[in-house]
Amino acid sequence: MTITMVKAPAVSISGLTVAYKTDAGELPAVSQVDLELAAGTITGLVGESGSGKSTLALSLLGAVQKPGRVTAGSVVVDGIGDMAKLAGEELRTVRGAKIGYVFQAAQNSLNPLKTVGKQLLDLGKAHKVRDLKGLLRHAKDLLDRMGLNADRVLDAYQHELSGGMRQRVGIMFALVLNAHVLVLDEPTTALDMITQANILQIVRDVHKEQGLTTLVVTHDVGVVAEVAHKIAVMYGGRIVEHGPVTQVLAEPRHPYTRGLIHAIPRLTGDISAAKALPGTPPTLGTIPKQGCVFRERCALRMEVCETVEPPAQRMLDGRTVACHAVKEGAA
Amino acid sequence: MMTGFARRLAGHLTRGLVMIWVVTTFTFVLIRLMPGDPVQVQIERNIAMGMPPDQAEAAAAVTYGFVPHGPMWKQYLEYMGGILRFDLGVSVESQGVPVADRVLGAMPWTVVLVLTGILVSFLIGVVLGVIAAIKRSTVVGHSLSIAGSLLHGVPPFVIGIILAALFTRQWRLFPSGGVYNADEVAPGLYFDFIGNVLYHAALPAAAYALATYGGWLLAMRSSVASVLGDDFLLAAELRGLTSLTRFRYLARNAILPLFTVLAISFGLVFGGSIFIERIFNYPGLGMLLFSSIGSRDYSMMSGAFLMITVAVIVANILADLLYSAIDPRVRRQA
Repeated sequence: MTITMVKAPAVSISGLTVAYKTDAGELPAVSQVDLELAAGTITGLVGESGSGKSTLALSLLGAVQKPGRVTAGSVVVDGIGDMAKLAGEELRTVRGAKIGYVFQAAQNSLNPLKTVGKQLLDLGKAHKVRDLKGLLRHAKDLLDRMGLNADRVLDAYQHELSGGMRQRVGIMFALVLNAHVLVLDEPTTALDMITQANILQIVRDVHKEQGLTTLVVTHDVGVVAEVAHKIAVMYGGRIVEHGPVTQVLAEPRHPYTRGLIHAIPRLTGDISAAKALPGTPPTLGTIPKQGCVFRERCALRMEVCETVEPPAQRMLDGRTVACHAVKEGAA
Repeated sequence: MMTGFARRLAGHLTRGLVMIWVVTTFTFVLIRLMPGDPVQVQIERNIAMGMPPDQAEAAAAVTYGFVPHGPMWKQYLEYMGGILRFDLGVSVESQGVPVADRVLGAMPWTVVLVLTGILVSFLIGVVLGVIAAIKRSTVVGHSLSIAGSLLHGVPPFVIGIILAALFTRQWRLFPSGGVYNADEVAPGLYFDFIGNVLYHAALPAAAYALATYGGWLLAMRSSVASVLGDDFLLAAELRGLTSLTRFRYLARNAILPLFTVLAISFGLVFGGSIFIERIFNYPGLGMLLFSSIGSRDYSMMSGAFLMITVAVIVANILADLLYSAIDPRVRRQA
C-alpha cells in the first residue's frame, strides 16, 4: 500500500496513562502507552472489551470521560498540539473540525428529536461556518459518495436510518468540516456482513480521498486485516504488539497476539484448529499492579514476568513487542 | 383520503365520546344508589304539611324537574337526552337554578386556579429537576432531591391550611376567599380585573404548586439523568458542539416524557382541586362538587362529574396530540 498524503498529520502518543477514580482508588485503564500513528496511515487498534482501547481512542480527542483523567503522558497531534493539555474553547473547536470521531452504529450518536440536516447546521454554527449552504453541499457530496440518497438522509431522523446508514452519516459528520484525523470506534459492530464490507470500503476510500490519519478501534482482527496498514494490539491497558499488519498477522510474536489470531476459525481446514485463549481478560480492578499483565493466561510465563513489566522492544522488522519471552531479533 | 392526523383525532373523539357515555351512566347509577334521598325527604315533608301523597310527589317532581318514582330506565333516558341538549337538570339545593349554569359558572375559576398552579409547579419542578440532575453528586443536588421528596409527601391540604393560616390570618397579605373583589373591579378583560383575579387565585395556586412541584422535580431529575447517559450527548461533545447547544439537546429530550404527564394532570386536577378550593373558600368546580355532595344534590353532582370526566378525556386527547406534535418518532409513524 502506498501512502502519499500531504495534508494528513501524524499523531504521537507517549507515556499516556489514563486512570479512573474508583472506590479502590485511581486505577489505570491505559498505562504508559507509546503509540505512533504515522501521517496518512490507517492503524487498527485491537483488543478485548476492557482492554482500554476505547479510553485510548477518546484520549485522542482529549475526551476521557469522568471519573477518568489523563494522569501522565501526552497525545500530540501535528498542527494542533497536546490534546491532553487543551481545554475550553480551544479543545471544543478542535473536536469535529480537526479530529473526527465515529461511534459504532448501534449507539445512538444523533439527537433523536432533530433531523440529520438540522444537526448538521448545529455543527456548522458551533464551528462558526459562515457558508452553511456550502457545508450542506459538502455533506451531500460525502453522503452521495457513500452511496446514500443525500436529500432523504438530511431530512431523516435517527430512527428512520438503518445501521449502515447511521454509520455513513456518522462518518459524514466526522469529515464534513475537513478533519484530517479520523477515529472510528467499532465501525462494523452490529452490522450485517455485506454492510460491514461496504463500510470498510468506504473507510478505505475516504481515508485516501480526504488524506486522513485514521485510527480504527475494533475487537475484530478481520477488520484490521481488511483496512489497516498498522496494527496495535492492546491488553490490560498496554500496547503489547505494534507493527505492520501483514507482518504481525502472518507471524505474531506476542503470545497474546498469537492467541488472538489462533482463536479465529478458518474457512478451510479443521474447525477445531481454532483455539480460544484460556482465561478471561482482566478488568480495571484485576489488572496486576506489577509484572506482565498477560502472565495469568500466558503459556510462556516465566519467573521474571511476576515482578517486571516487559518493556516494548523494537524488533528488526520494525514492530515493537512487549514480552520477556520474545528475544531473538531484538534491535 | 384522511391524513394521519385527522384519522388519529377522529379515533380519539370516538373513544372519548364512548368514555363519556360510560362514565355518565356509572355516575347516574351510583348516585342513585347513595343513601339519603332529598326528594324523598321533600315528599315526606310535603305529606307532613298535610298534602296527600300524590300531590306531595307531584310538587316534588316540579321542584326537582324529574319524576322521582318513575322507573330507573325512564329517568336514565331523560337524563341522557338532557345531556345531549346540555340540559343537566336543575339544582336540588338551590331550587330552580339550572345545573349547567352553575357548572359553567364555576368552571373558569377552576381553570384559572389549576392552570396557574400547574404551570408554576411544572416550571419550578423542571428547572430544579435539571439542576438536581446535573449537580446530583453535590450538596445542592442532594438537598434539592430531599426537598422535592419531602414536600411531595405532604398532602396538598396540609400545605393549604398552613398557607391560609399564615397569609390570610397572621399577615393578611392575601384575601381569604372568593375569586375577585366585586367592590373594586367589575368583570371584564382589562388589567385591573385580571390582576384582581390572579391576586385571589395566587394563594390557592401557590398551595397547589408547593404540594406538587416535588413530583415534577423528581421526574425531571431522573429523566435528565437518563438522557445524560445517552451516547448522542457524548457524540455532540466530540463534534465540538457548544455547551449551550448540548444543553438544548439534553433539555428537549429530557422534558419530552413529562409533557404527557403535564397534559394529563390538567384533566385530573379539576377533580383534585376540591381540598384546595375548600380551604381557600374559592368557588370553583371543586367547591361546587363538595357542597353538592354535602347536600345530596344529585343533579349538581352528576353535572360536576360530567364536567370532570370531559376535562380528563379532553386532556388525554390533547396529551396525545401534543406528544405526536413534539416527538418525531410518534409523528412520523403514520
